[in-house]
Amino acid sequence: MKHFMHLIASITVLIILSGCLPTSVIDDVLIIEAEGVDYIGGNKVIGTVTMPNYVQSSNPGSSGAGLPTTASMIRYLSGTTYDGKSLVDRFQENGQRALRAGKLRVMLFNKGLAKHGLRKQIDLRNRDPEAPREMNLAIVDGSCKKLLTAIDYQTQIPIARYIQDMIEQNNKQNYPESTLESFLYAYYGDYMDPFLPVIRKSGDHLETIGLALFKSDKYVMELPSNKVFIFKMLFQKFDQGVYDFEFASQKHIALKNVHTKVSYKVKNGNSTSPDIYAHVSINAQIIQAYPKSINKTMGPKIEKKIEKHMAAQAEKLVHMLQKKQIDPLQLGQHVRSHTRHFDGKSWYDRYPNAHFHCTVDTTIIQTGISD
Amino acid sequence: MFWIKKNNDPAQSKKSIAKFIDQMKTNPDFSHFHHEGKQFSCWISFIVTLVDLEYVHRDLLPALYSDRVHSIEDIAKVLPADKLIRTKNLSEIQSGILDGSLMIRESAHSKECLLIPCMKKQSRPVEQSETETSILGPHESFVESLETNINLIRSRIPIPQLKVEELRVGKISRTRVSVLYVEGIANKENINTVIQRISDLETISLISSNMLYLMISDNNHSIFPQFIDTERPDRVSGALYEGKIAVIVDGSPNALILPSTIVEFFSAFDDYSLVWMLASAYRLLRLFAIGFSVISSPLYVALLTYHYQLVPKDLLATLIVSRSSVPYDPIIEVLLLEIMIELLREAGARLPTKVGQTIGIVGGIVIGTASVQAGITSNILLIIIAMSALAAFITPNYRMATTIRLIRFPFIISAQLLGILGIALCFMICVCHLLKLTSLGHPYIEPIYPLRVTDLKDSFVRLPLNLQTQRPLFLRTGDKNRANPQRVNKKEGKHSPDIDE
Repeated sequence: MKHFMHLIASITVLIILSGCLPTSVIDDVLIIEAEGVDYIGGNKVIGTVTMPNYVQSSNPGSSGAGLPTTASMIRYLSGTTYDGKSLVDRFQENGQRALRAGKLRVMLFNKGLAKHGLRKQIDLRNRDPEAPREMNLAIVDGSCKKLLTAIDYQTQIPIARYIQDMIEQNNKQNYPESTLESFLYAYYGDYMDPFLPVIRKSGDHLETIGLALFKSDKYVMELPSNKVFIFKMLFQKFDQGVYDFEFASQKHIALKNVHTKVSYKVKNGNSTSPDIYAHVSINAQIIQAYPKSINKTMGPKIEKKIEKHMAAQAEKLVHMLQKKQIDPLQLGQHVRSHTRHFDGKSWYDRYPNAHFHCTVDTTIIQTGISD
Repeated sequence: MFWIKKNNDPAQSKKSIAKFIDQMKTNPDFSHFHHEGKQFSCWISFIVTLVDLEYVHRDLLPALYSDRVHSIEDIAKVLPADKLIRTKNLSEIQSGILDGSLMIRESAHSKECLLIPCMKKQSRPVEQSETETSILGPHESFVESLETNINLIRSRIPIPQLKVEELRVGKISRTRVSVLYVEGIANKENINTVIQRISDLETISLISSNMLYLMISDNNHSIFPQFIDTERPDRVSGALYEGKIAVIVDGSPNALILPSTIVEFFSAFDDYSLVWMLASAYRLLRLFAIGFSVISSPLYVALLTYHYQLVPKDLLATLIVSRSSVPYDPIIEVLLLEIMIELLREAGARLPTKVGQTIGIVGGIVIGTASVQAGITSNILLIIIAMSALAAFITPNYRMATTIRLIRFPFIISAQLLGILGIALCFMICVCHLLKLTSLGHPYIEPIYPLRVTDLKDSFVRLPLNLQTQRPLFLRTGDKNRANPQRVNKKEGKHSPDIDE
């Protein structure tokens, strides 16, 4: 009997106390989907948050129930605050309903903020248990506020989803993955620097224009779109993407990547100028070629040309990164993993002097149906 | 009721044969008359409604009137009947008469009598099974008569080792309960446990096997059924061959199979009529359906109340739009629909068959769509609830199906209290309860914990019969092999070419 009373008591306590739990019923909260932060100098930023605006569809099953309550919800909030302030807290008092950041899809920073440093923003997100780790970060060329609040896009879907769709589909092709998780890894990890895609509003649509490279949390340079393939090829193995190769002036060949693989070897890892050997093997398909530039006899020749060109491009890219003293390719990690008793302290001094050698092995596995 | 009390009183027992007849005489269906023959005269007493009158008039009374009968001893010689009982024991006489025997006494005062069993049994013919329907398998099902039921089983197990032990349960009702097992296969300990549990019952009456089930189950506070009850003789025979024990109660059209494990409640006997791949696929489908049925509406409550983060982004818009016109919290919405479905089910079960069908259609279609149109529930939820109700009845065993219907309510409440954590806690409590549960002293979730790999072959999947050469391990049968595994799996013999080759 005593046992039974204990059970009753604990269930009662559970029921009564759980009434105090804060709920977030899905249609009674404002789900923030995108945050944009524009730097305006003096540690001040303009923050913008957007909420999806689901308009009631003309579903006959749900009609006749009065006005849909989500159709009239506010669409975005914007205002100035200091750098590093949580935008959810900043706009809570403006919110029609409670704001929630748990479904955040994209977080945008303008170039000004990126140059100023993302340190505080990153710390804020890293501390937040609600924010999803797979949300996408991006740098905006221009104003985040304008990009997020513009109403002249061709598409009707919420802007956050538009941005995320675009970034995600690019990440499956030429661009390397850029989620909060991968950014945090590269930011907090040793011997590596993060990178983010750069997007821009161009007329009535959005476009991805390149890759922003960081030195720790500060923007250093932008890698143009046509070099991103080379970057991704050295960064990870991947299997989609197109590389446009101008083998002679005005004569192009486009390779569709079927599979690339990169492997690193390091010699003299602790010397003042370590040797880093990258070997990339590409299985590709020709999807576009200058007429009569490729046939059975020409194939191996073109392959050789492509290999040579790509290796040169890769070496050039790394050389440039070394000059800027940034390591988004995480070469430092490769050196560390290939070197016994790796001397990490002096790595940053030795990195610019490292010799990077790249060999590319291209296999054209198909040239199209007209062969 | 009081005649048993009197029977217990030794001081009155000597008088009571006359008293018993006096007492019975008040009943209009008690026949008590003096028969005066040329050579032999006697008192005949019987209950008209219990005896087979046709037999009495056609065979019994003519034999008594015949010239060959001079004394009560002669009756046995002339009568074409077996099991004649001569007794002075009053309790035997009483139960004999009340079971449908005819009593013959030489004089109105003689203590010794002859009991001639001529009982008439009202019984419906063997019909199609109703609750456990079968598509490929046999369609016979048990009826209320114990003899017919045993006949149905005996005809499937034609061996002398099939033992039928008859027990009487109920101080007053003295209901016949038969315990069936195959000697040599069934574990002796199990048999003794069953017999002990049944014979130790302290009860006034036993109406049906369901009552017996409730009284002899290991834990009668558990919502999980611990013994399979089936109305299919083929399933019972299969279980007996496996080394289980069947209990049949007179007057109940179903048998209990003891002991059972939880996975058996999810296997239909039709599974054994299908190829093993299909049977396994359907079993896995059932498993999925049960998981879906229990978890779906609690998950809806938890996700929409606390964990909006976990809703897939493409589903978010649909959910929000369909919820936007609903004034209630998800929990109220879910409880409303769940209780409505529960009402429909209960009404459908209680109403006459023809009205029940109409109610099902009216309830399912009209009330469902109307409630969505009225804006008190979202249409996504309607789909979820309807599917989970459907999935709950995919369970072949009705007892288990009702358990699954009911078990989701604590899950829904705890999902509202603590979100997914609440569901996890509730699940944990369920698992702890299942771990502790036993069926006839054997662990209830046996092939899973304790893990028995041989028994897993016929649990969530059903492997081909040539791999199932062993009887269930947990039964500790007298003969663990069903068949010789070497001979079952022996390859074809040497190929000798035909004359054409």
